[in-house]
Parts: sequence; C-alpha cells; structure tokens
Amino acid sequence: MLSYSFKSPAEIEGGLSTGFFGAQEPMVDERCAIRSAPDRADLEAAAPRFPGATEREIANALTAEAEEACTLRPVVFNYTTAFTEAPLLRYLLNGVIVTVSIFIIQVIVALPCAYALAKLRFWGREAVFGIVLFCLLIPVHAIALPLYIMLSQLGLTNTYAALVIPWTISVFGIFLMRQFFMTVPDDLIDAARMDGMSEYSIVWNVMLPTAIPALLAFGIFSVVAHWNDYFWPRIVITGDRSLFTPPLGIREFRSDLDGSFFGPMMATATVIVVPLIAAFLLAQRRFIEGITLTGMK
Amino acid sequence: MRTNAHLWFVGPALILMVLILLLPIGIAGGLSLTDYALGNPGANFVGLENYSDIFTRSTYERMFGATFRYVLVVVPLTVGLGLGAALLITSVTRFGDLYKTIYFLPVMAALIAMAIVWEFALHPTVGLINNTLESLCGTWAEALVRHGCAEGFPHWLGDRDYAIWTICFIGIWQGFGFNMVLYLAGLTSIPRELYHAAEMDGARSGWERFRLVTWPMLGPTTVFVVTISVIRSFQVFDTVEALTDGGPSRSTYVMMYAIYEKAVQQNLMGIGAAITIVFLLFVMVLTLIQRWLVERRTHYV
Repeated sequence: MLSYSFKSPAEIEGGLSTGFFGAQEPMVDERCAIRSAPDRADLEAAAPRFPGATEREIANALTAEAEEACTLRPVVFNYTTAFTEAPLLRYLLNGVIVTVSIFIIQVIVALPCAYALAKLRFWGREAVFGIVLFCLLIPVHAIALPLYIMLSQLGLTNTYAALVIPWTISVFGIFLMRQFFMTVPDDLIDAARMDGMSEYSIVWNVMLPTAIPALLAFGIFSVVAHWNDYFWPRIVITGDRSLFTPPLGIREFRSDLDGSFFGPMMATATVIVVPLIAAFLLAQRRFIEGITLTGMK
Repeated sequence: MRTNAHLWFVGPALILMVLILLLPIGIAGGLSLTDYALGNPGANFVGLENYSDIFTRSTYERMFGATFRYVLVVVPLTVGLGLGAALLITSVTRFGDLYKTIYFLPVMAALIAMAIVWEFALHPTVGLINNTLESLCGTWAEALVRHGCAEGFPHWLGDRDYAIWTICFIGIWQGFGFNMVLYLAGLTSIPRELYHAAEMDGARSGWERFRLVTWPMLGPTTVFVVTISVIRSFQVFDTVEALTDGGPSRSTYVMMYAIYEKAVQQNLMGIGAAITIVFLLFVMVLTLIQRWLVERRTHYV
C-alpha cells in the first residue's frame, strides 16, 4: 500500500518493477494539464509576451508552460490528489470526533455502573449484573437493523448522533471495569468515606485514577474498533459526504475514480491507516496488553 | 444520599442497555413476522413466512453456503496459524518482537483499507499476483502453474469458483494476528515447572512437551479463541461489501451482507429482521457452548 502510494500511474499500470519508492521521475498530472489548457482569452492575454509569434506558436508555448506547471513527482501527485479530490482531512476529523466521543461517553456511563456493581450493596444488584452478562452475548451486528430503524424513525440518520448513540453503552466496558474494581481493596473506599467524600467524588476522584490501566486497555479496544468500523457508518451515513468516517472515505474515493487512480487511492488508504499504526508502533506493548486484557473476558 | 447513589450510578447504564441492546432484539423479533418497510405507514403480519423463505429459497441456501464456507475455512486456519505464530515467537530468541509486530499489524489496520490493496493485487490484468504467476510461464516453475499459462489465470474476485476462497484468504491474513496475541498471553501463563516436570518424566522432544503440557494447558484459551473467531467470521462484511457485493452469482453472499442488502438497500425489513434473528441464535448458541466448555474445564485445569 505504502509502496504504491509513491508510484506514478504509468509505473503501477505497467507493472514496472521500480523498487519500493518507484522511480520518482517527474510526471505530468493529466487532469491538471487539461484543466489549465490555454483557451482563447489566455492566448490573447499572452500575445504581448510573444511579439511576432503566430497564434499556433503561442498556443504551443502556453501548453508547454501549463504542462511544466503540472509536472511533479509521483509521490507529491498521489498525496496532493488524495487530499484535494476528497475531503480527507474532514474524514479524519470525523473519525477523531466519533471515536473520542464514543470512548468518553462509554466511560461516563460504564464507570459508575461498574463501581456500583462491584462495591455497593443494593437491592437488585445481582439482577443488573445478570442483564450485563446477558447483553455480553448480543453481537452488535445483530441489532444493527432495529437500531437503524429506530434512528431513522427519530430522523437521526446522517448525523453524528447516529454514529455515536448505538455505542454509548458498552456492557463489555462495565464488565471489564467491574472485574477490575473487585480487586480494589474496600479499605480504600471506606477511608474515602471517612474523609467525608460523597459517592460521586469517590467514583471520579478515587476509582477513576486507580482504574487507569483498565481504562487504557478498554480505550485501545474501543478506539481501534470504532476507528476501523465500516459496517455501522455504511448503514447510517447514506448521502452526506461531510459525515464520512475514514473507512467510508476510502470507499468513496475508490468508487469516484477510474482505474488509473490507484496511486492517490493508496495514498488515501495510507493516510487513514497511519494514525493507528503509528500509535501501535509507538506503544506496542500497551496495545498488545490491551487487546489481551480485553480479549480474555 | 448514599442510599440513593446506586440509582444514579446504575440507572443510565441500565436504561441504555434496555433501549440499545434489549429492545432492538424484541423489535427484530417482531418485525421478522411482518413485511414492514421504512416509509410505509403500517405492516402486515405474515407469520413465519420470512423464516420459511430463509430455509427454502435458493438465495438463502447460497447465503448459508457462503457463510459456512467462510467460517469453516477461516476459523481453523486463523486459530492454527495464530497458535503456530505464537509458538514460533516464544521459541525464537531473536527478532521475536519484530515477528509479533509484523503479524499483528494487519489487525490494527482498517480492513477496508487492506481490502482495496488486495483488490488491486488480485486485479486480473495489472495485479501483482497474476503478473507474478505469468512471469513463471516459460521458466522451470511453469509446471506449478501450467494450467494457468495455457488457459489464463483466475479472475480471483470475479470468478464464482474462486471469489469466496479469495475473501477467506484475506480474512485469514487479517485475522490470525489477533489469535496469536491471545495465544501468546495463554502461553506466558503456563508455569515453567510443568515443562521441567515433563522432561523429568521422559518427555524429551519438543513435540512431546507440546502434546503433554502446552496443548492441554492452552485448552481454555483455545475454547475462547475458537469462539471469538467463529463469531468474528460470522460477522464478515467489509471485504464482501467492498470487493464483490455478494457476487459473482451470490457465491460470497454472507449473512451480514444479506442483512445489509435486503434491509438497507432493498428496504425489505421483515426478511432482514428474520436473518438477524437466525444470526443472533447462531451466535448465542455458540457463546453458550463456550461458556459451558470453560466452566466444565475449570474444575481440573
């Protein structure tokens, strides 16, 4: 993918073996050349620059100039096309907005619930935990269709809300956090109560800091899943390009262009895959621990 | 105040669980007995007609065919390769982390991005794979690919005899790193002493140690890895939607794509809901079997 994003259309289509980075020989961007081909007004405007030249000569000179202006290295061509032909930055921003808000809401909902299930005694606790365990059995893909119907009845399809709402509850997060809180000594909480802390501040000022390792693992799990998710955005975002998340962006780019645009397409794919891959390479151990911890429920 | 705190802590999560997870199952169950379509004012009750369609029409026969083919190929191979890679990494002393990174990278990358790369590599004329195969023609390696040299190489994703296997291949390539990580965690939890003890008892070869210690100790991990792989394979969607749209001749018409096509594209909510319920039953039964196996094993592991 990375390699293709460096090569010129001719190298890709010709199947020429030009190493990992391609030859990087300057190439003419055909679209740009067509766009800036001289028309009649250009010819008249340029006439003073070429005294005594015929119209044909001026046209040739201008075409040559335009081609020169449109000549660039394949790598520059691929990446600039990727960012200009599709609102790629917008897609990335959407991806960040959606994954971050999903994670924050999941924590706000799940953390107090997990604390109550682990450390508070109240009527119905076992029943609530039973519901959590049952919900763990439900694959999100299976309820996608009714959720889609509910959201479209509320007129929420093609909004950020549609991308976020179904993921606001993570029973898995509740379960993971509860298991973690079970290992926190009761003395810690009792001491906090002695100091006069309310249950609310215990959750946010005592339990939250102790739960950082579990939260990090859960965060990795949640962000990876939702940054890469294709199924749900494909269902609820049906028209509005400005709401596309990165994976949808690749799809859009792909269907927009003809076969000769593999280079920019691969550049798009690279840009979209790079944030997670870079994060992974920087903090590999954490990622792998996170996946293991959250995987081994 | 303390007596009421739990209501505020559990309440939001409970409400969301009911609204987002439990209610939709009820809705799907109800809709699967109707011919509901979005935009229509009402729906007619059709009884079990949707379900009888699923189990009699050839379209859905193909759907089950494609889904089971995918699951039956991808699960054993991702589990096997995951275990193999984990054993390889723990046994090599050098570059272990490098292998781990390489195998795990596809798990981190968006499947859709990887799908387009494979689509290009598998392209019948400009793709890397067929070009490489063609370049073998006329050399000593021609014997391996003679059939292709004479009659042309497959159109991988465009040929109904190959498409599902190609999709399986991409799924395996993408998924086995995940299983590898789970197996690595399982392997590190095996006490070293067991290996020493096995050696004392005469288990000298690596294979013996694997058969007598490693494999039985990995039992719970394997149960979990197999279940999660089956569930993930049942849910395959990205590659099918991006690469084949269920074709050619519905040879890659997997369940999740069928739900999407029927309900979202064709607005046939009733039949989509019925497929959803069938899918849900499959997954629940599998998860319950896993729970049962794990509980049964914990007594002697």
